[in-house]
Amino acid sequence: MQAHSGGRFRRRSKALRRITGLVGLVLALAVLGVGYSAFAPTGNSAAAGPVDAETIAHGKSLFDTSCISCHGANLEGVDGKGPSLIGAGQAAVYFQLATGRMPAKANGAQMPRAIPVFDQKGIDAIAAYVQSMGGGAQLPGSIDIANADLAKGAELYRLNCASCHNFTGKGGALSQGKYAPPLNQATNTEIYAAMLSGPENMPTFSDAQLTPTEKLDIIKYVRASNDTISPGGYDLGGFGPAPEGLIAFLVGMGVIVSITLWSGSRS
Amino acid sequence: MSTVDKTAIPTGDEMAGMTQEELARLGARLDGVELVEYGPRFEADSPAEKRAERQVAKWFLLSAASALAFILIFVMWPAGYQDPFSSRQWIYALFTPLLGITLGAAILCLGIGVMSIARRIAPHEVAVQQRHVGPSADHDRRTLGAELMDTLDKTGLKTRRGVLKTSLLLAGGGLASAAVLAPIGGLIKNPWAQGKDSELWVTPWKPAADGTLVRLTMQDGSFVRPEDLATGSIMTVFPGVPGGATASDAAVMLFRLRSNEPIRVRTGQDGFNYGDFFAFSKICTHVGCPVSLYEDQTGRVLCPCHQSQFDIHDGAKPVFGPATRPLPQLPISVDQHGYFVAVHDFIEPVGPGFWESFQGSTPWGSHPEVQPQPKPVFPPFGQLPKENS
Repeated sequence: MQAHSGGRFRRRSKALRRITGLVGLVLALAVLGVGYSAFAPTGNSAAAGPVDAETIAHGKSLFDTSCISCHGANLEGVDGKGPSLIGAGQAAVYFQLATGRMPAKANGAQMPRAIPVFDQKGIDAIAAYVQSMGGGAQLPGSIDIANADLAKGAELYRLNCASCHNFTGKGGALSQGKYAPPLNQATNTEIYAAMLSGPENMPTFSDAQLTPTEKLDIIKYVRASNDTISPGGYDLGGFGPAPEGLIAFLVGMGVIVSITLWSGSRS
Repeated sequence: MSTVDKTAIPTGDEMAGMTQEELARLGARLDGVELVEYGPRFEADSPAEKRAERQVAKWFLLSAASALAFILIFVMWPAGYQDPFSSRQWIYALFTPLLGITLGAAILCLGIGVMSIARRIAPHEVAVQQRHVGPSADHDRRTLGAELMDTLDKTGLKTRRGVLKTSLLLAGGGLASAAVLAPIGGLIKNPWAQGKDSELWVTPWKPAADGTLVRLTMQDGSFVRPEDLATGSIMTVFPGVPGGATASDAAVMLFRLRSNEPIRVRTGQDGFNYGDFFAFSKICTHVGCPVSLYEDQTGRVLCPCHQSQFDIHDGAKPVFGPATRPLPQLPISVDQHGYFVAVHDFIEPVGPGFWESFQGSTPWGSHPEVQPQPKPVFPPFGQLPKENS
């Protein structure tokens, strides 16, 4: 009888261990989710500043100290270092500087997002200088998505953006270390500038291909998918059914095994 | 408690005199199970029994409450869609999880309650069951084998009755064929029924019978002009015919490459491009996923399914991954109204290759009659004829 109850105790403690392990997994997932959301930063938005000769001159002086080594004294580019910026336009400069990708910190497959080096005034000045050298795509004065069409934006996003940036805007891998960045950190203005200028390996979307209204629709969808509350509390990276199924299988199996052990523990 | 021999079955009269518990013990014993300890778990109406009863009832009440909560939430929750910009989004987001949690809890608590009855209230018993070890007794095995074989011999199925066996085989085979045909038969069709216009040969890009060329259209049906695309851009276009936007073999990527980039075209496909504009099928030649992860600087298009990569700067040839054939190029030009048109259909199969091949002078799998043709000559811009509307 003594040995019998001892065996029972051992089995029961095994079940308990499994249950505590499961609780530990759930807790770890919760901590991970909360920690991730705590570290996910929020962006700030900006609009184009005034353009005059003084601003352009200020921009040239900033360019000559920070950009010239790779992009050349006359924006003609330096072979093997940086491309020509003639005709790059204000939108491209705004995107690169506001997201901190430029000035480049190091060579690599792709420039990562970073804390901007220049303040708003500096960005506007350099953008005005580059714009004065050959023109190029320019951001509109204001970017207001309040009246944009969310459903239309979702359709356009799936057709034009989702293949690289993922249908929930989480980004994804490209070839040889390059990647389409997640869109949760990008401000509305930055997304607009990216579509207009096609930074790095992203294609360009001219206003004839995606009208300004359609661009606003897409931005609204990006904002919406970013702000959507995940019904399960954590979206597991927004990659869809594969990780969700894996977690459901692991957690669900753990629960089922625990319950089975508990229900069979009485002999 | 009466003492019954293990094998002896009491008479009807004897059983009539036994109590219910004695009959239960007798049944167990006749099945080779000896109840060493058997009896109620509690004294009737004892505090311990009442406590156990409350503990079990607690689970059933919890289950009932969860089910009630499910019904209330299902009926009364303000479940209308709230977009992510609304401050009431969380109300919408909670609806489905709440339904799942309450219904799941109702089922789970009911199950735990039922198990609790067995654990806390059902009679206490310790049973010992006799189990025989090893195979059945020798005489059991011999007699059973003889029984089966004797039946077979006497039916004559072993040596005679060929007609019976053959007809039975036919019946089984016929029924199996009929059962398989029902779901699968509908899938079998002749892909070459339309001759040279068969589905595998042509796509909706094929010019109409009267020679009208198919225009490139955006998803919303508007036509595409060269000035719609900025340098270094990609646009997914569809044939401007009814059903073109949903045809599985018709999606095409239209690229505008940089004019200073060295571009190579495949042999025999000179002039398929229109200046810097190149059109390639969007359907991967591996297993037909839509390729559209376009790297503007490297000129590569990536397939998301199995990581095939095609070099747009080199005739869309595969440079990485499992795909073995280049993406077919669509010959494009601009018609007299300034819109992109397909000069003729693809000259090779779109998407994953198929087994019909006309090798020799034509590219692999080419349509036997569709070959590169000279571009139609349109009047230059500025001398456009008035469009009749």
